[in-house]
Amino acid sequence: MTDNTDNLAALMKQSLTGDQRAYAALLQETSRLLRPFLAKRLNFTSEVDDLLQEILISIHKARHTYDGNRPYKPWMYAIARFRLQDHLRAHYSDQLHHADDLSELEDFLHEPVTESAISYESISGEVEKLPEKQATILRLMHQEGYTAREVAAKIGMKESAVKVAAHRAYKILRQKLER
Amino acid sequence: MGNMDELIDKLVQDGTTVKPAHHPVLLSLEWIAAAVFYLAVALMLSGFRPDLMVKLHEPWFAAEIAALAGIFVVTSLSAALLSFPDLHQMRRVALAPALMFALFALVMLFAWRADSPPSQPPVHSIECTLSITLLAILPAVWIFFVMRKFASTHQYWAGGIAILAAFSVGALWLRLYEPTDSIMHVIEWHYLPMILIGMIGMWLGKSLLKW
Repeated sequence: MTDNTDNLAALMKQSLTGDQRAYAALLQETSRLLRPFLAKRLNFTSEVDDLLQEILISIHKARHTYDGNRPYKPWMYAIARFRLQDHLRAHYSDQLHHADDLSELEDFLHEPVTESAISYESISGEVEKLPEKQATILRLMHQEGYTAREVAAKIGMKESAVKVAAHRAYKILRQKLER
Repeated sequence: MGNMDELIDKLVQDGTTVKPAHHPVLLSLEWIAAAVFYLAVALMLSGFRPDLMVKLHEPWFAAEIAALAGIFVVTSLSAALLSFPDLHQMRRVALAPALMFALFALVMLFAWRADSPPSQPPVHSIECTLSITLLAILPAVWIFFVMRKFASTHQYWAGGIAILAAFSVGALWLRLYEPTDSIMHVIEWHYLPMILIGMIGMWLGKSLLKW
């Protein structure tokens, strides 16, 4: 363990002097160390890969803050934890935002039909009037129960794009149903 | 995996020689030296309080000035450590401001008890806070400017502590310039605003120390 730690510190020290082979070896080893660390904390392999790349870029950007005279691993894990927290924060706030959209839509669905012109049929009708992509996304997510990630895979879009499209669709529906 | 190899190749291509950042102790010493110079210039322009030599012989005033200077030194060091992702592996030193603030609060408590009968407070109030804040702007801008070149993983704390370091320079200046003996006034308008200023610093840290 100490040998490995010393090696990494030495590799980083060499990297700072412009030794590209040492730097490549260091980044490979860092990536090997971080993959299980992230895999334990994240659900999907694609997420692990994306975040691992982000962490390597951060390590690259922050390499001037490491002088090779202290252990490398605590420095590396500090950056990894920081980026992981950022990722999780963004992920959960996105989910929360998404949940807000749904709950707002559900508010309409729960309103008594006798006191409102809004019905399930009217919502379905309005969904059909949406642009085709938005309508498909809402249908898949709310009638067929797919998650945003699954919808993204199914229709060949990015997950974030699916969420944005769904968000826009909720907005349009909300405006139409409020009239 | 292919993407990962590609990324590593790109980073390696970009991996030219890099000069490691200064040690945080050296970095904080640079800030302290610059702040001492700035404080000296400010005091030369504004002048010292007329009774300064007499006041420095009063134990609680001397202790207050020493503790305030201590806050400045310790917060500077802590801000420098917080600029590094791993706090330069000196976590305990980075937490030292908490201890220093506790000591400062204790000194102020004793100074307040010793101020009996209480000295007459001056007629002004928030002007003191504003003067300290104005004087602290330049050190704060400089510290933030330097910290942005680093890679803080504790942006809230780094921002808060950096602003407190700058504010303590302003507080030192006002205490050495303004002939006020009322401890209640000093606590209320010189030191308690530090809490709010620290919170503003945390918010600034989050937005300005992103990397």
